[in-house]
Amino acid sequence: MQLTIKNLTKTYGEKVVLQDIDFTFEEGKIYGLIGRNGAGKTTFFNCLNEDVEIDKGEVILNDDYGQNKLKTDDIGYVISTPTVPEFLTGKEFLSFFLEINKDKLEKPKTIEEYFDLVKINEEDQDKLLKEYSHGMKNKMQMLINFIAHPKVLLLDEPLTSLDVVVQEEMKQLLKNMKKGHILIFSTHILELALDLCDEIVILNNKRLELIEKNHLNTKKYKDKIIENLRDEKND
Amino acid sequence: MINTLKMSFKIDITYAINSFIYNIKRFPILKDLFPGDSLYKSTKVKAFVRVLALILSTARIIFFKALYFWIIYLIASALTPKNITTGLLHIYFIFTIIGLFFNNKVLTTSTKKYFSIVLFNMNAKEFMKATLWIEALINLLTHSIFLWLVIQKPAVLVFTAFGFLGRFIGERLNLWHYNKYKISLTYNYPLYWTIVLISFGLCLLPLINITVNPIIVGIIDVIFLPLAIISYIGLMKINNYKLIYKRLNTKVAALNSNQAKEYSRQAMVDIKDKDKKIDEKKLKGKKGYDLFNTIFFERHKEILLRSAKMFAIISFVVIVGMGILIMLIPESKVRINDFLSNNIAWFVIIMYFINRGSIITQAMFYNCDHSMLTFNFYRNPKVILNIFKTRVLTVSKVNLIPAAIIALGVPVLLYLSGGTSNVMDYISIPIFIIALSIFFSIHYLVIYYLFQPYDKNMAMKSITYSLISAGTYLVAYSFTDFRMSTTAFSLITIIATIIYCIIALIAVYKKAPVTFKIR
Repeated sequence: MQLTIKNLTKTYGEKVVLQDIDFTFEEGKIYGLIGRNGAGKTTFFNCLNEDVEIDKGEVILNDDYGQNKLKTDDIGYVISTPTVPEFLTGKEFLSFFLEINKDKLEKPKTIEEYFDLVKINEEDQDKLLKEYSHGMKNKMQMLINFIAHPKVLLLDEPLTSLDVVVQEEMKQLLKNMKKGHILIFSTHILELALDLCDEIVILNNKRLELIEKNHLNTKKYKDKIIENLRDEKND
Repeated sequence: MINTLKMSFKIDITYAINSFIYNIKRFPILKDLFPGDSLYKSTKVKAFVRVLALILSTARIIFFKALYFWIIYLIASALTPKNITTGLLHIYFIFTIIGLFFNNKVLTTSTKKYFSIVLFNMNAKEFMKATLWIEALINLLTHSIFLWLVIQKPAVLVFTAFGFLGRFIGERLNLWHYNKYKISLTYNYPLYWTIVLISFGLCLLPLINITVNPIIVGIIDVIFLPLAIISYIGLMKINNYKLIYKRLNTKVAALNSNQAKEYSRQAMVDIKDKDKKIDEKKLKGKKGYDLFNTIFFERHKEILLRSAKMFAIISFVVIVGMGILIMLIPESKVRINDFLSNNIAWFVIIMYFINRGSIITQAMFYNCDHSMLTFNFYRNPKVILNIFKTRVLTVSKVNLIPAAIIALGVPVLLYLSGGTSNVMDYISIPIFIIALSIFFSIHYLVIYYLFQPYDKNMAMKSITYSLISAGTYLVAYSFTDFRMSTTAFSLITIIATIIYCIIALIAVYKKAPVTFKIR
C-alpha cells in the first residue's frame, strides 16, 4: 500500500502554505513529520483529512483495490487535545464504539483486552471521561483509532504533553500498529521522532522532503535534519 | 436506519443519565451518600434514572413546542384579536417557511454530530436519514396536536403537512447550496436577511386583513408532494455526508470542549484581518498614550463597529417600519403617540441592549490590558485616568452610531403620529437618547476598571461585577413600568448622566490603581 501525494497546493488568502507537494508514503512505516513553527504541518494534515479544501493536486491511495482517491473512511486523525464525550464512562464509550463498528472489525477483542492494551485499569473504566486526565483521554482516542485501524493514521503532536510512562506505552502501541498501515506523526521533539519513526520527513519551504539517514550515526543524522530545517527561506 | 436511530438514542440516554448522576453527586450530602464512581456502574440505579431521563427528555420536547406555539399565539392575538385562529395559522405558516430555509437538520452544527460521525464512526448517510425522519415525524405529530388543541378543524393538517413536506425540500435546498457554495443558507447573509425581512412583512399582513388561505396551502401541499419525493431521492444520492458532518462539526466540538474554552473566548476578540494594517496618516503626530490608544482602537475597529453598525441598521429598519405602519394603519397612530409621549422610559432598556459593553471590555482586556497590567507604570493613577478618558470618548463615539439613528428617528415618529403639545420634546428626546448612550458607554468602562473581572483565561471571576451587570439590567428593566412626561424624564436623565460622569472619573482616579489588576 502506498499513499501518493501529487502537486498538493494549499493557500490561505495570498499566503501559500503548501506548494506542489509530491511525496509517497509507504505501508508499514511510521513517518516523523518535522517542521518549524508555522511551517504548515497541521494544514498538511487537514488537507489529507479533507478538513479543508485543497487548491490543487490529489491524494491517491494505492492498495489491493487499485489506485483510488484517499477516502474519509481510510483516514484516522489523532489530535493533541482530544475531544471526547465527557458524560460517558470509558467503558460505555468503548462498548458503544465496538457495537457501532462491529461489522467492520475483524476478530474483535473483548473490552477488557482493549483496556489492557492501553493500560487503563478496572476502576478507571467506570469513571466518566470528564474525570479522565489529559493522558487518559489521549489513550482512549488512540485506542479507538487502533481498533478502527484506518489505512492511514495521522497523529498531530499526540505525545507531547504525556508523562514519560504513558509516552512509552503509546509508542509501543504505535509500533504495534504500523504493520499494514501508514502512520504519519508530527512532532516538535526531534528525539521522539528519531526514537519512534522509521523515516524523517521535513516540511520545508512549503514542500515535503525525506531526510535520508545513509548510515549516519544519530548525532550526525540529527545535525543533518537541523541543517535542512535552517534552510527555510523566510519569505 | 432503525439500528442507527436506536444506537443514537441509546447514546443520548446514557449521556443524559450520566449527566444527571454527575450533577446529583455535586450536592454536598448526596456526594457522601454515593462515594466513588459506583453509581455510573450500577445497573439498578441506571435503570431507574433511565425512566426519569426518558420522561424528562419527552417533557423537554413538549415544553419547547408549547413555548413555540404560545409565542405564535401571542403574536396572533396582538395582530388579529378578533380572529386569533386565522392569525395563528398565518403566523405558523410564515414561521414554517423561515424554518424550511434556515432550520435544517443536516447542516446545523453540534458536538453530538462530531461524536456520532467522527468519533463513533457511524454511517453518516444512515445517521442523516434517521435524524431527518425522526425530526420531521415528531414535528408533524406535535404541531398537529398543538394546533388541534386550539383549532379543531381539518385545515390544521393541511398546514402541518406543509411543514412536513417542506422539511425535505428545505433540506435538499440547503445541501445543494452547501455543496455548491460551501456554506449553509443560514450564512448567506444577504439571502438570510431578505427572507427574514420579507417574512416579517408577511407576518404583518393580517393587519390589513390578508391572511393565508388554507385552500392555497392545500394546493401548495399538492405541488410539494412530488417535490418532496424528488428532494428525498436527491438527498439519498448525495454521498459525501461523512465529509460534510466532519467539516462542519469538528471545529464546533473542539470549541465546545473544556480545553478549548479559552481559545473560543480568545477567537471572539481576535483582531480581524482587515484591521491588521493601520493607515499611517491616523498615527501621524501622535505619541505616548495617545498613539497607544489610537493603535488599539484602529486594530479593533471591526470588533467595535460591527455590533454598533448592526444595531444602527436594525434601529433604522424598525423606525422606517413604524413610519410605514403609521401611514398604512391610522389606528396605530394613537398608540405610538401615547407610547412616545408617556413611555419614554422604555428607551432606558432599549439603549441598555444597544450599548452592551462586554465584547469591548473583553477585547481591551485580552488584547491589551492583559499584558500591560503586568507593568507597574500602567497602573499609575494618572495613566489610568488618561487611558480611561480616551476609552470613554472612543466607546461613546462608537455607540453614538445607533444612538444617532434613534435620536433622529424618534422625534420624526412622534411628529408623524400626531405630534406633541410641548415643542421642547423634539429637542429633549434626542438629547435624552444621546445622554443614555453616553451613560451606558461610561458605565461599562467604570465597572470594568473598578471590578476588573477576568482572569488570565478570560474567565469571569468577579461576583460583584456579575451582580452589578445583573443589577444594571434590573434597574433598566424596572423603567419599563415608569410613566412620566417626556420633558421631565429627559431632564432628569441628562442631569443624572452628568453627575454619574463626574463621580465615575473621581472613582476611577481614586480606586482603579488598586482594583484594576489581573485576577
